[in-house]
Amino acid sequence: MPAFNIRKATIDDIPFLVDSIIEAEKGGTGILSYSTVFGLTPDESKKYIKNMLLEEVDGCELSISSYLVAEKEGQLVGAVGAWIEGNEGIPSSVLKGNLLKFTLPKICIEKALSLNNLVKDIHIENINNTIQVGIVYVSQSYRGLGLANILIEEQIKSLLQISPEIVQCYLQVFGDNNAAIKAYEKLHFKKITERRSENNLIVKYFPSASKVLMKRQLK
Amino acid sequence: MERKTLEDKLTGIFRKIFNNEGLTIIDDLTANDVANWDSLSHMILIGEIEKSFGITFKLKELNKMKNVGNMMDIILSKL
Repeated sequence: MPAFNIRKATIDDIPFLVDSIIEAEKGGTGILSYSTVFGLTPDESKKYIKNMLLEEVDGCELSISSYLVAEKEGQLVGAVGAWIEGNEGIPSSVLKGNLLKFTLPKICIEKALSLNNLVKDIHIENINNTIQVGIVYVSQSYRGLGLANILIEEQIKSLLQISPEIVQCYLQVFGDNNAAIKAYEKLHFKKITERRSENNLIVKYFPSASKVLMKRQLK
Repeated sequence: MERKTLEDKLTGIFRKIFNNEGLTIIDDLTANDVANWDSLSHMILIGEIEKSFGITFKLKELNKMKNVGNMMDIILSKL
């Protein structure tokens, strides 16, 4: 296996983190919920995700401090975003909501308002004082080398150093992303629950009509 | 504005956004206590509060709102 340099992400890594977030959110499809839900072009989505990362708010998937990145010969090839849920005293969903509200144009809120009930269908709450793996991404040419595994294990190890009492790690994945679900099962994550929307419109806005919650018992 | 008046107005906003007519707000209420308080509904909630009271929050203020009590303190400081 080629050696990778694994390190904490910095502000200089933002362009790669933006791409990682976008590709992970797409879940192997062409649908990016930032664009569909908020009515943004792909370039606008990129710009606003970058702006949200630049705010350096800790504790959610839009936090630079949540990320470990992998380098190979000076090139970024993988990223994992994970955090301790509620560690900042506020749920990650609220921190993300604050960043969205602060960063996106007002028109996006109006667009989102009409979709609020639809989005609720597949919403799964995060559990406080657990590790949440929010984003996993490896560049196409470095897949199949176990890099996602290395990044996840390293990030869990580093978060457990901060909070050794944590015993569970969770992640959410779109229900149709069978390749990702299988890969996570190999990493000892088990399917806990699935939330599915019966509204046919859901697949216009999200990569799948369902979300699966997976859990790994750490101790 | 009196805190009680603010609480009444906020209750109406919360009930509308979370589609829950029985929702009662107290100072200690957090996002963990309300079903479907996700990032999208939070963004909509904050937008609705800003519109209703004619105020704009800074990001730092938003990230200090750990519960409804904190939220009310910050709103009152801006009225």
